[in-house]
Amino acid sequence: MELPLATSGLAAVEEAEAVADIAETASPARTEPAAAAPVTEEDLTIDDAIELAVVQSDPELGNLFIAEALDHLGTIEAALLELDERPGDTGLLNDIFRPFHTVKGNASALGIVSVERVAHKVENLLDLARSGKIRVGAPEVDLVLRAVDVLTMMIGDVGHRLAGRPRTATGTEAVALVAQIALRIERQLAAAANRSDGSGLDFSELAAPVASEPLDAASATAARVSAGESDTSFDPSPLASATRRKDDLATATAIKVDTRKLDNLVDVVGELIVVQSLIQQDPALSSLVDGRLARNMAQLRRLTADLQRNSMALRMVPIRQAFQKVARVVRDISRKAGKPVDLVITGEDTELDRKMVEEITDPLMHMARNSVDHGVELPDARQAAGKPARATVSLSAYYQGSHVIIEVKDDGAGLNTERILESARRKGLIAADAAPAPEDIHRLIFEPGFSTAAQVTEVSGRGVGMDVVRRNIELLRGRVDIRTERGQGSMFLVRLPLTLAVLDGLLVRVGTERCVLPAAAVRESLRPLPEHVHFVQGHPRMVQVRESVLPLVSLGALLGMGGSALDPSSATVVVVEEGGSRIGLVVEELLHKQEVVVKSLGDSFASVRGVAGGAILGDGRIGLILDPHGIVAMVREGGRRAA
Amino acid sequence: MSTHGATGRFQREELVGKYLTFALGNEEYSVPVLKVREIIKIMDITAVPQVPHYVKGVVNLRGKVIPVVDLRLKFGFPPQEYTERTCIIVVEVVLATGARMMGIIVDHVSEVLNVTAEEIEQTPEFGDEIQTDYMKGIAKVRGQVKILLDLDRVLGVDGTVSMPQPSAA
Repeated sequence: MELPLATSGLAAVEEAEAVADIAETASPARTEPAAAAPVTEEDLTIDDAIELAVVQSDPELGNLFIAEALDHLGTIEAALLELDERPGDTGLLNDIFRPFHTVKGNASALGIVSVERVAHKVENLLDLARSGKIRVGAPEVDLVLRAVDVLTMMIGDVGHRLAGRPRTATGTEAVALVAQIALRIERQLAAAANRSDGSGLDFSELAAPVASEPLDAASATAARVSAGESDTSFDPSPLASATRRKDDLATATAIKVDTRKLDNLVDVVGELIVVQSLIQQDPALSSLVDGRLARNMAQLRRLTADLQRNSMALRMVPIRQAFQKVARVVRDISRKAGKPVDLVITGEDTELDRKMVEEITDPLMHMARNSVDHGVELPDARQAAGKPARATVSLSAYYQGSHVIIEVKDDGAGLNTERILESARRKGLIAADAAPAPEDIHRLIFEPGFSTAAQVTEVSGRGVGMDVVRRNIELLRGRVDIRTERGQGSMFLVRLPLTLAVLDGLLVRVGTERCVLPAAAVRESLRPLPEHVHFVQGHPRMVQVRESVLPLVSLGALLGMGGSALDPSSATVVVVEEGGSRIGLVVEELLHKQEVVVKSLGDSFASVRGVAGGAILGDGRIGLILDPHGIVAMVREGGRRAA
Repeated sequence: MSTHGATGRFQREELVGKYLTFALGNEEYSVPVLKVREIIKIMDITAVPQVPHYVKGVVNLRGKVIPVVDLRLKFGFPPQEYTERTCIIVVEVVLATGARMMGIIVDHVSEVLNVTAEEIEQTPEFGDEIQTDYMKGIAKVRGQVKILLDLDRVLGVDGTVSMPQPSAA
């Protein structure tokens, strides 16, 4: 091997080994009889003391193994989804085989036998496919995808066990999987033998559902495979591949860096910006009139700003990883629900903060699940409506200013406005005589407690509602909207800031301190007229903002920061909206808008309510970043106590 | 109660080494220099609500947010205006949740001392009025008593800054 620049030591060694014995495993002599040596549950639940002996003696190595294996499994999953569209592509098969072999080899080298055994079985299947002995179709892709899930779980479990926590995974799923793979290999080899015998057996007959086989352990999980059998297709998909293959070189020049190092860099750069602006605004300096100095200062400002942008960009990763998981969900559900769907992905290279990509994955998966399960009609119904039988779900991401927009769009039936309205009335979410605008009706699906009972299915009706999706997106300081047209489809529109590290804030003075309110939560600010402030028991408690009356709270008093015992009609009221409820916060003074870098206050202050973190302000002091969600919750509780 | 070489929870040998000493009122305290990250002049502190009164808030130390505890208040001394000599000693403490940097406000910093085994004395029993579990021991150097603080305990019972208030001396 050449310079193992991008790969870590472990991988580099294994890679070399893999190349060496790929040729070996490919030779027919090594191909073991498919049904031989069934794996039992005991084989896969080996005592920690034996199996983890090596990695326990060197936890660093263990963690390296886990991180690399999960990386490889991610690559494999992506390649599998492509293989699903182009089953004949042997290059893709090799792309899948190689990382699998590496995972197996590493597991074997570290003595993690259970992982090695499962990976070995899958490798057999892949090897036979690679050498053309068996054909690859949807059932094989399904099996290997399941293997990826099982191995991901098992390897995650190794991490748990290393940390001293009890084993969570049982071997049942893995045993079922291994048995099914063995069965699949046997069937395929028999089919191949028949073909060469010239017995003229129709291949589709051989691809009979695996689920009907008397395999107890397997039957529970086999449903997914059998659903996939029905549209087994050996033609290379004529569709333009949505998940286009990426240039492998892009990853070859990447290095892995501990996020703490990145955070340190960002901290120092943030401080550099503060010092730079302190110097720039220094009266001693600004009184000097010197063209050269002014030019150099301007240059310094440009460079520091550039440095900040670049250091922030280090935390950014493409959203592809999240989209991949969504693609997997769409594929699984479309099979299960019997609704053929083409998934079109665009903008998967759009970059977001790494943490955002991780946090947005679940909400996106939930929305995509909703689109396929509730939005897309069954093929018959689609054809009756004059639409193509295959539905199209599209997933796209693009930049808009300092935000990223993600769209999850389907060409299904669209939301049923009347039914939502009826359901909301029945559940008391809106008054019986209310007649909201259609957009407001559609937004009701994001309300807690709204679940269209008529639609509960195995896939979507698991109690996680769209309210959780909205909540999770709001936690990321984002927003979700829905656009829908009856009969034409619906679109979820998610708007997220590029990063959680930088916040668009509104600087306010509370008591003697300056605090930052996230601009996303601020609706407006006003000086109320005296007659619009309503007193209860001698205290200003409510403020009238146009048609609505909002609770009025002194921010300083609420948080315990002093001040703000002011007459609200002479102070400033900031209207904050969170989770659908609006409140008026009395602050001493509205200072200005500012983009701030968000810092955690650390776990010392974890129990402080209403405060989300700290921001370093222009003069180097820290301003507290307020948490609108916590503040609204505190106001609600206060109201209950008073009542 | 203690046998040879041990003073309370610690072996005498464990306590030998270099200490940074500082004053609170008329008393001299000390922390191991290895724990000290830096010493800074008292600076503007941003108050954080809903915390014990001895937690003064947070400061910005070159881009890091550091909680600051006023040790006078923590130990029940009467509050005092901060002066030119007031310092924040930035220390690294190991809390239940891991290592982290914290600042302690002291009246003034005195000197760096090399404490030898002979200078270490047993922590006397003070009775119930004084908590001794945040003391590692006592050193008697040049006729003066220095209290060797166990910072991990002073700053982090249960890994939070809200800890039981020691009774005033």
